[in-house]
Amino acid sequence: MTDIQQTVYVVEDDEAVRDSLELLLKSDGKPVKTYENAAVFLKEYSEKMAGCIVLDIRMPGMDGMELQKKLNDKHSILPIIFVTGHGDVPMAVDAMKEGAVDFIQKPYREEALLEKIEAALEQDLEQRKTLDEKQEIIRRVKSLTPREHEIMDRMIEGQANKVIAIELEISQRTVEIHRSRVMHKMGTHSLAHLVRMVLSVKNLIDAR
Amino acid sequence: MTAAVSENSEVTVLLVDDNPQNLKVLYETLKDKGYRLLIANEGEKALDLAHRHQPEVVLLDIMMPEMDGYEVCERLKADPETADCAVVFLSALDDLEAKVKGFALGGADYISKPFQSQEVIARVKTHARVIRLERELQARNRELQSDQARILNSISEGIYGLDENGTIEFANPAAAVIMRCPVEDLIGRNFFETHFSTAAQCPDGLPVNATCRQGVAENQRDIRMLRADDTGFPAEYRSAPKLDGEELHGAVVVFRDITAELEGERALEEARELVQEQRDQLAHTSRLTTMGEMAAGVAHEVNQPLTAIANYARVSKRMMAVENPNLTLLQETLDKIEAQSHRASEIIRRIRRFMKKPATGKEVLSVSSLLEDTRQFAEVDARNNDGAIELIVPEDVPDILADPVQVQQVALNLIRNALEATRTAESDLPVEVTAQVTEGSCVRIEVRDYGVGLAEDAEEKLFLPFYTTKDEGMGIGLSTCRSLIQAQGGEIGFERPEDGGGARFFFTLPVAAPSPSTSDESSCGAV
Repeated sequence: MTDIQQTVYVVEDDEAVRDSLELLLKSDGKPVKTYENAAVFLKEYSEKMAGCIVLDIRMPGMDGMELQKKLNDKHSILPIIFVTGHGDVPMAVDAMKEGAVDFIQKPYREEALLEKIEAALEQDLEQRKTLDEKQEIIRRVKSLTPREHEIMDRMIEGQANKVIAIELEISQRTVEIHRSRVMHKMGTHSLAHLVRMVLSVKNLIDAR
Repeated sequence: MTAAVSENSEVTVLLVDDNPQNLKVLYETLKDKGYRLLIANEGEKALDLAHRHQPEVVLLDIMMPEMDGYEVCERLKADPETADCAVVFLSALDDLEAKVKGFALGGADYISKPFQSQEVIARVKTHARVIRLERELQARNRELQSDQARILNSISEGIYGLDENGTIEFANPAAAVIMRCPVEDLIGRNFFETHFSTAAQCPDGLPVNATCRQGVAENQRDIRMLRADDTGFPAEYRSAPKLDGEELHGAVVVFRDITAELEGERALEEARELVQEQRDQLAHTSRLTTMGEMAAGVAHEVNQPLTAIANYARVSKRMMAVENPNLTLLQETLDKIEAQSHRASEIIRRIRRFMKKPATGKEVLSVSSLLEDTRQFAEVDARNNDGAIELIVPEDVPDILADPVQVQQVALNLIRNALEATRTAESDLPVEVTAQVTEGSCVRIEVRDYGVGLAEDAEEKLFLPFYTTKDEGMGIGLSTCRSLIQAQGGEIGFERPEDGGGARFFFTLPVAAPSPSTSDESSCGAV
């Protein structure tokens, strides 16, 4: 697993707030990148970005909520911390339903903000780790031959070797050889683990 | 009675002589001439007839037993009923003394006996005519006098006739009512001394004095006059000189008690002030409502600099925590804090000024800076509403004379409505705010949007109180705007733009006079 460089992405239209937040986070030793509006960020967004977004909910042009929706469409997993003003709580609740990790009300205490940012970075790290794991599983699944894949599917469904041999019209011995190859390639000794691994990426495989 | 029938008709002639022969002759002489003839052969009878019939002419014999002609004449003249008749003495006495005595007693003429019938006829005719005319004249006079009296009596204003010294020669009943004393008590008193407490100290400056002395007409209002009982009242009077040709004969004064009138005026003034107060109150309420609606935006607007200040302060503390702090960087950060606190206080200043309770009164204002300030204020809303505001004020737009808070209130109201209409229509086009000079030395400010526009029948109701097209509106916004603009001497209105839909609201305000000292009340009339 590669060491990920996490960055705090600040999207804020107010110059003073943006500038002060950049200085603050930098003084806390965090890599920061700032964007003066949602459109600029969206243009620069890539899947490779890691860290979290500190997003002003109210902005002229595209507001924070719209940016969140656009990022969701792109399957972004970057955690979002919404920065809200007084009276924006209903908006913040909607944002949370759309998957935002947290929100903070302006003017905020530094500790509170940093805490939330830490939590978001942690979550990002977790998500990225599982994502890496899943990608490893997919890589392994892809290394299987069609025959091995077929036999794995039947194993997961719980078919006994004898049944598989009859239905595929091959010898039970051949099934056993394929089976051990599947287990080897998927890097496990336990059928239960295999089932869990494959199910965790099932939707990802089906989507492709 | 002026029936000019046969000119002798209705003329009564009384013939008085103790001599039946003479009476007969006189009777014969006058009988067919159309007179009513009465006959008496002695003084008492003559007086009785005369009293009852008021003859125009009496032919009276001087020498009679019992009562002679002189006495009869004297008594005729003493009786008001008969005083005006023409007494023509008849006597053989042809001496001067007798004639003079007759005239001295009021006789009109004299006929010597023996008389010529032609002479008798002629003289009777002449005197009959004179008396007839005199009586008609008197009747006419009486009629005129009573007309005049009726008029003077029925006028509710007091009328005085004064001589040149101010002595009251005439007073009508209304004057007596106003002065609370009978007319008789007023006549003969001095106008100045009776009605003015300062008459003794400075008689020259008193009302009506100039009219009495110099013949100058006067007209004054709210003058304090005293009544006979020394109570006072406010009066209005007009005085005109009484002239006989060139000669000044005093003055005529027409006056009235204006206590009730003044009270009415005061009540009206109070009512006006109340209306003004309530309008200011309503305007203030409306500003509060606007601020209430903008609260979220305003809070956001104030929170921005506060957030920045808190962040910068934290950064500064961290900078100072290291061994050799970078003072330049620290200085920069502190400068930023200062700038942000100015920004916050500017927002608060703007709100406070807008919320200020009583209108500050008219000032000479720069249109561009007033509208720029309003635009920044409205942008608090624009952020919420996602709209943009474009402000165009040409260089040549002159300063206006108006109340800054109230103009800003109107402009803000129109801009916010425009932003809302724009948002409802999901339009990207900005709200356009423009200003220009118009012909009637006014500045016209327009707020144009490309939003949803207004319903067909909106024009009529738009500026009426409690008319609203908004679910949450109270409908006082535009009606308040109208009363505010009208109070500044301007107009407010709505137009449907020929192109591009949406709505255009405008209001006008008077241009400030070039020099502040000559700033008259100007206004922008209907264009």
